[in-house]
Amino acid sequence: MATIELINVEKKFGDVHAVKPMNLTVRDGEFVVLLGPSGCGKTTTLRMISGLEAVTGGQILLNGRDVTWERPSDRDIAFVFQFFALYSHMTARENIAFPLQAQGERREVVRQRVEDVSRLLRMEHVLDVRPGALSGGDQQRVALARALVRHPAAFLMDEPLGALDADFRETMRAEIKRLHIDQHATTVYVTHDQIEAMAMGDRIVVMSDADVQQVGTPAEVYHDPANLFVARFIGSPGMNLVPGRYVRGVLHLAEGATYKVPDAWAPSLDAATRGDGDLILGFRPEAATVGVDSAIPATVYATDLHGGYTMLHLELGNNTIIHARTTREAKYAINTPVRFDLDPAMVRFFDPATEAAIIPEVRA
Amino acid sequence: MSQANAQALSPQSAAAAPPRQRRQTSDRAIAWLFITPTIVLLVVMNIFPLFYSLYLSFNDYSVIGSEPPKWVALDNYEKILTSERQRYWHNFTVTGRYALLSVGLQLILGFGLAMLLREKFRGSGLITTLILIPMMLSPVVVGLFWKLIFDPSKGFFNYLIYTNPRGGAEWLSDPTLGLWSIVIVDVWMWSPFVMLLCLSGLSAIPDYLYEAAAIDRASAWFQFRRITLPQVMPLLLIAVLFRTIEAFKAFDVVMGLTGGGPGDTTETVAVRLYSEAFLGKFRTGESSALAYIVLIIIIAISNLYIRALNRAREG
Repeated sequence: MATIELINVEKKFGDVHAVKPMNLTVRDGEFVVLLGPSGCGKTTTLRMISGLEAVTGGQILLNGRDVTWERPSDRDIAFVFQFFALYSHMTARENIAFPLQAQGERREVVRQRVEDVSRLLRMEHVLDVRPGALSGGDQQRVALARALVRHPAAFLMDEPLGALDADFRETMRAEIKRLHIDQHATTVYVTHDQIEAMAMGDRIVVMSDADVQQVGTPAEVYHDPANLFVARFIGSPGMNLVPGRYVRGVLHLAEGATYKVPDAWAPSLDAATRGDGDLILGFRPEAATVGVDSAIPATVYATDLHGGYTMLHLELGNNTIIHARTTREAKYAINTPVRFDLDPAMVRFFDPATEAAIIPEVRA
Repeated sequence: MSQANAQALSPQSAAAAPPRQRRQTSDRAIAWLFITPTIVLLVVMNIFPLFYSLYLSFNDYSVIGSEPPKWVALDNYEKILTSERQRYWHNFTVTGRYALLSVGLQLILGFGLAMLLREKFRGSGLITTLILIPMMLSPVVVGLFWKLIFDPSKGFFNYLIYTNPRGGAEWLSDPTLGLWSIVIVDVWMWSPFVMLLCLSGLSAIPDYLYEAAAIDRASAWFQFRRITLPQVMPLLLIAVLFRTIEAFKAFDVVMGLTGGGPGDTTETVAVRLYSEAFLGKFRTGESSALAYIVLIIIIAISNLYIRALNRAREG
């Protein structure tokens, strides 16, 4: 299989960066997800790796070989397009056979490989149907089969589940994940759906405004977001972000409420603010626990039952609404005053000026 | 109370009703008013002649003669298909050769031009429009102009293709070149039409198919053969259908250029039909029979094409 290396790869349209200089190494057999809102440059990055889009700077290495200026056909990669890009005038079988026939493979070999791959994807029964008559999921399978049949060094997938119905996405997500594990295929996968990214990726590259915001495992980007963008973008809802003023170990929130920061954090926060300065407190909804003699006062703004759990929307004053996850039995009337605590291991702090996360000197 | 009111009001409302009623009926009347002239024209100009000529094709009749139509059953058809078949067969082969050559060349040239003009460049819109001009001219005008262009002493066609100081080929009066000169003019005039259809077909092929093909390592030729051609095929077949039917009716350009000559070397079926029907003895019955034979051939050819078209569309 293959490694993919991007070295200062960038794409400019005139003076505007579509992708700012970017470095990334995809290890052999790794599943890397490029995640970001639309227009963040993730698809452009993928198309540059494939060779469908020319870079305006930097280098792309495939297995250590410089392919920056090679044609897509010389890169030994497969690409799964968002809307499948199937050849509408050919049957599913002809679509899958196309890359083999283009290489002039013998008829016998083509037949055998098409059969193998369609068995793998459990789609033998649709082989003689044209794409127009197939369901979205089966079209997706044809597109995957067409990518798989050639045994390419790497797979590039551009929102392959974007055009599918919600309930079917889950199934196909599992299929792609399973396929990746079986084939041990280096994969770069583009999506704007953070749940999909969390579920599938070995590592996630979070992008925004043409720039990489953070590269990390799903757990890293979820628990230790590098900046406010990642904190907001990952998770649904995103991380709770509460502005406050930090004075020697205590964060003063709106309307006189205070939060004593965990001891482990104090030295780093002292260093960051020089003992006195603005900070943003960040915590996930599951880090907050409502209790009778808890520290931070709030008012219940709304509650919604999500089946397995209840999401509490709490007002802290200053129009700051935070989300807290509680058990499904918990029932609170609107406007009830409550108090809550935060799990000291799950709080994070951000610098409001740079928007970057403050790195603790000793991890709590 | 309200009932009584309604009753009391009803004469009034009845008085108010007529304009509304008239409008209601007049909607239909207006519809008929619009449709009737068209229907009358259609019946008088198309449908009646169609069936009347079918009737005449079974009669011995001349439109300038004083005799009424005389029923001869299939005699006219028999004459065309058996006893006088030699010259008629010649007319059909001329038409067939002409159709094959001109439609074939138009396809190659039109498709080639479309491939060239497919990528937009500076001035490509203007060039496309210029190329379309021949198509917009009247065929008779085209015939007369090309007669001058082909003229061995005054025309510049020979000058363009080769420079023979002692005078070049006599395009219109040479028995072998006569048909070619008509083909050349028809190709000049109608290749743009094929180009236009192909262009619309080509622009309908989504870019992502070529991207997918590039990823699938297809060569340019493989992409052309397996993607471009099959995707344009339905429109290509429509072009062939239109041009073949037109070629079978070839009359105006032929009359403008050669009038069927030299001898009868360029006498297409349509030209022969004209001379049977409106020259000399005005053999109306026989020419009607010939017209029906042509009609049947055109319907048969169209059917073949439409079948091919459906196959190309649905597979």
